Amino acid sequence: MGFLSPWFLAGLAGVALPLYVHLLKQHRSEPVRFSSTMFLERRTQSSIKHRRLMYLALLAMRLLIIILLSLLFANPFLRRGQAAGAEGRKLVVVAIDNSFSMRAGDRFERAKRRAGEVLASLKPGDKGQVMAFASSVQMLTQPTSDPGELRRAVAALQPGDGRSAYAEIARILRAMGQPEGLPVEAHVITDAQRTSMPAPFSELAVAPAQRLKVHSVVDKAEANWFVEAVSVPRSVFQPKKVRVQATVAAAGAEPGEVAVELVLNGRTIETRRVNIPASGRAMVEFFLPDASYGFNRGEVRVVKGDTLPQDDRFPFALERKEASKVLFVYEPRSARSVSYFRAALEAVEDAGFTVEPVGVEQASNMGYDKYAAVVLSDAFIEGPLADWVKSGGGVMVAVGPSLAARGRVPLTGAAIREGRYASREGERFLAVGQVDATHPAVARAGNFEPVKFYRTYDVDTDNSRVAARLSDGAPLLVEQRLGAGRVLVFSSTLDNISNDLPVHSSFVPFAEQSVEYLAGVEASPSQYVVDSFVELRAARDARAAVDILDPDGRRALTLKEAADAQAFRLTREGYYELRRGNGRNELIAVHADRRESDLDVVSAETLALWQGGGGGSGGAPGTADDGAQRYSLWWYFALALLIASVVESLFSSRYLEAAPEQSATRRKAAA
Amino acid sequence: MLASISGLELVAKTVVDGFIAGLHRSPNFGFSQEFAEYRAYSEGDDLRHVDWNVYARTERAYLKRYRGETNTQLTLLLDASASMAYGSGAVSKLDFTRYLAASIGYLSHQQRDAVGILVFDDAVRQYVPPSSRHGQLMRILHAIESARPGARTDFAKPFFHCMNFLRRRGILVVISDFYEDPEKVVQVMEPLRAHGDELILFHVLDPQELRPVFQDTAVVVDMETEAEIEVTPEYLNTEYRQKIDAHVEALRERARRAGIDYFQLDTSKPLDSALRDYLLVRQGRA
Repeated sequence: MGFLSPWFLAGLAGVALPLYVHLLKQHRSEPVRFSSTMFLERRTQSSIKHRRLMYLALLAMRLLIIILLSLLFANPFLRRGQAAGAEGRKLVVVAIDNSFSMRAGDRFERAKRRAGEVLASLKPGDKGQVMAFASSVQMLTQPTSDPGELRRAVAALQPGDGRSAYAEIARILRAMGQPEGLPVEAHVITDAQRTSMPAPFSELAVAPAQRLKVHSVVDKAEANWFVEAVSVPRSVFQPKKVRVQATVAAAGAEPGEVAVELVLNGRTIETRRVNIPASGRAMVEFFLPDASYGFNRGEVRVVKGDTLPQDDRFPFALERKEASKVLFVYEPRSARSVSYFRAALEAVEDAGFTVEPVGVEQASNMGYDKYAAVVLSDAFIEGPLADWVKSGGGVMVAVGPSLAARGRVPLTGAAIREGRYASREGERFLAVGQVDATHPAVARAGNFEPVKFYRTYDVDTDNSRVAARLSDGAPLLVEQRLGAGRVLVFSSTLDNISNDLPVHSSFVPFAEQSVEYLAGVEASPSQYVVDSFVELRAARDARAAVDILDPDGRRALTLKEAADAQAFRLTREGYYELRRGNGRNELIAVHADRRESDLDVVSAETLALWQGGGGGSGGAPGTADDGAQRYSLWWYFALALLIASVVESLFSSRYLEAAPEQSATRRKAAA
Repeated sequence: MLASISGLELVAKTVVDGFIAGLHRSPNFGFSQEFAEYRAYSEGDDLRHVDWNVYARTERAYLKRYRGETNTQLTLLLDASASMAYGSGAVSKLDFTRYLAASIGYLSHQQRDAVGILVFDDAVRQYVPPSSRHGQLMRILHAIESARPGARTDFAKPFFHCMNFLRRRGILVVISDFYEDPEKVVQVMEPLRAHGDELILFHVLDPQELRPVFQDTAVVVDMETEAEIEVTPEYLNTEYRQKIDAHVEALRERARRAGIDYFQLDTSKPLDSALRDYLLVRQGRA
C-alpha cells in the first residue's frame, strides 16, 4: 500500500492524546465517603469487567478514529497490476510504425533495430508480440515466448504506404487488456510524426494497467519536397490536349526552385521549374498532348533530392476512349429537344457522350446494344427496346402531348392521368418544389428553382422512386425499374416549350447525370489514396467475377473474393488494374496520403505526456512509476472512519450515562 | 425541620413540648406536675425545691415531689466518632444524635432528673457529671452542641469512665451507630448493668446505611479508617443488607440477653418514636 500524501501520517502522533486521557491520567471513579466499611466486601463483578471493557473499547475507538483520519489525509492506495503477472512475468508488445513516412532515409532500419533491442531484453517467462501499424494495426505474431518467431516477424516487416495513426495503435492496446493475465509493456517504435497525432489527446490513452514506452527513431524534423495533388480528367474522348494541374509543396524546407516533370507512360512529356516558398506550395500546369487510346499511366514528379523520394512522384491514370453514343428518339413535334439535349451534353468537357438523334419512325426496329442510353422525347417505342432495357439498358422518357394522348408511359406502362397547363402571362407557372438530392440523376444538378413549368403531365408513381416533384407535389422525375434496367420518366418536354429548363444552367448537369446514370457510368476519381476502397461491382453486376492486379502485376483477390467481394482496399501506391466481368475495366492510380510527407516530429514533451510518466519511463495516467495500477482506498477509509465515529459516540454516551447518577449519589454522601 | 431550627435548646424544647402535648392528649400516659409527697432534703438537692413553708413550721428541710418526678440520674453517652458524621439526607447521624440527646436531656431535666453527658469517640472528649442544679441543662446542651466528629470509636473508654465516676445508679443512654462487634459492645456495658444501672442503647443509622442505593460500582472510603474499597450495586443490594440486618439483630439480641434496652433509630424518621421508647422504659421502671 502506498500514500499519495505521506506527510499527513504525522497526524498519527495524535493517538497520544486519548492514550493520556484514558490510561496515563489514571481515570478513576470519584470515591464515595461512607460511615463504615465494616460490612463491605470487594467484589469483582461482571459489571466492573463490563465497565472496564467499555472503557477500553472507548479508548480503542478513539485511537482508531485518529489513525483513520491520518490515513485518510495521506490518501492511501493499493498497487495492482504487477500482481496479475505472477513472478513479474509480462507481455512485451512491440508495435513498429510501417507507414509511408518510415521510408524516409534509414528510419525503418533503425526502427527494426530498436525492435530487436527491445525483444532482446525479454526475460525468461515473458512473452512477446510484434505488430505493425499505419492506419490500421496488423498482428504479425500472437503472444509467444519464442524469441525466434518474434525476430523473424520483425525481419520480414517491410515499410508500407499507409498513413500512421497513433490513435489506432492506442485503441488496439486498450482493447488488448491483459492477455493471459499478463501485464502489458507496450513499445511503440515510430518516427513520431506530428501529423499522426489525433486531435483529441485522450485517444492516445492506454489501459491503466499497461505501461507504454514510445521510441522515436527521429530526433528532428527533416525537409521534404513532394507533389501534393494532381488534377487531371479521368477520361478523354477527343484527340485534344488535356490540362494537368499539379500542386507541389515543401515541408520544413527553405524556399527554392524545383523542377517538375510530367511523365506519361514512362516518357517525360514536359519539365517546368517552379519556385516554392518556405514550407509552402506552388501550382504547375501541364498540357498533355494527344494521349493514346486506352489506359495511360501518368506521373507528375518533383526532381529534388530529399530523404523521402517516394512522395516526389504522384501517379494518375488517364483513359482515352471513344465517346459513348446516346440514342435520342424524338417525335417530329419535339424535334427542338434534340438541339437542346445535344448542346447540354456537348457543353460538358469530356462528358464522354455523343447524341445520335433519330425520328420515332426509324427507331422502332433498331438495335440498341451499341448505345449507352436512349432518350425518348415524347416518342412511343416498345418491343425490342423493352428487351434491351430489361437486360440492363437505361431509357429516359420525356412526356409530351403525344404520349399523353396514348395515356401511358412507354416501356413501364405507367398511366398518364392528366395534363396541366399554366399561362405564360403573369406568373402562372409551376416550379420545382422538392428534389431528392440522393438520386444520381439530380444529385449535382444544381438549383432548379428558377425553372418554370407551363405544362406538365401527372404520371402514375406506383412502384417508382420520385427523384423530383413540382411545387404542387406532382411528380416531375420518376425512376422505374424494368428488369435489370432503368427508366427515367420526365413529366414534361425537353423542347423549351412546356418549360424553360433547357435554357437554365441546371439542364446541363441534369442531362449529363441522367445519361451517366442510365448508362451505368459511375463517376470515379482519377486517383485514389492508399487505404481507400474501390467498389468492385454494381447491383447489376452482382454475379460477375472481378479481377484486380496489384502494382506488381499480381492478382490481389482470391477466387472467392473475386466472386463475392463488393469492395477492395487499396493498400499500396502505384497502379491497380481492375477488370470487371462486363468488360468495363479500369486503371486505378493510388498515391500515399500526402500528410505523411510532412516530416515534422512530435515534441519530446508531448511524447512524454503520452507515455504518462515523463522521460519515457512512466506509465499511463493513473499508474505508479513501476506500471502498477493505483487503486485508491480513500473511500474505504472514509467509510471506516464514519462507522468508528458512530460507535465511539454510542460507547461514550453509555459510558457517561452512569456519571450523572453517580455524582448525585456522591453529593448526598458528602452532605 | 429540626435541622432548620437553630439553637439546640429550642429544638429540644420544640420536640419535647410537642411530644408532651401529644402525650396529654393520649389517655394512656399520665404526665403531670401534681404534688405527690415530701422527701427529706439530702445534700446536693436543688434548694429551689425545698418547701420553705414546711421548714418554717418544722425547721426541717423537705423537698416537694411531684407525680412523674423520678429524681433519676441520667447520663447521656454521645458517640461523636467520625462515622457519626455520615448522612445521606439533610440530617447527619451526629445531628440526629444531638437532637435526640438534647430532647432527652430536656425532658429529663423537666422531670427533675440529674442529667449528665459524656461525649466520646476513641476517648472521652467531654464529660459533664449528672446534676440537677441550676444551669445544668445549659451545660448539657453546650456539650451536645460542641460535639464534633472525631476519630474512631472505642466503647471501652467511656464506659470505663462511667464505671469510675458514676457513684449513683442511674440510667445510661448510649446513642451511637455501634459499628463494633455486638459482643464487645455489650461486654463493656455489662459491668454497669451489674452495678444496677439501666442502659438504653439507641442505635442510630442512616437509611443509606440500612439500604444503600448505588447505581454503579463505586469506590467507598471509610470515614473513620480512610480505607477504600470498591463495591458493586449487586453486593450492596444483597449481601450487605443481610450483614447489616444481622448486625442489628445480633446487637439487639445480645443487649436483650444482657438486660439492656435496645432501640434502632432511622435518621429519616421523626424523633417522637425515640422519645416514646425512652419514656416507655422510664415508665416501666417507675
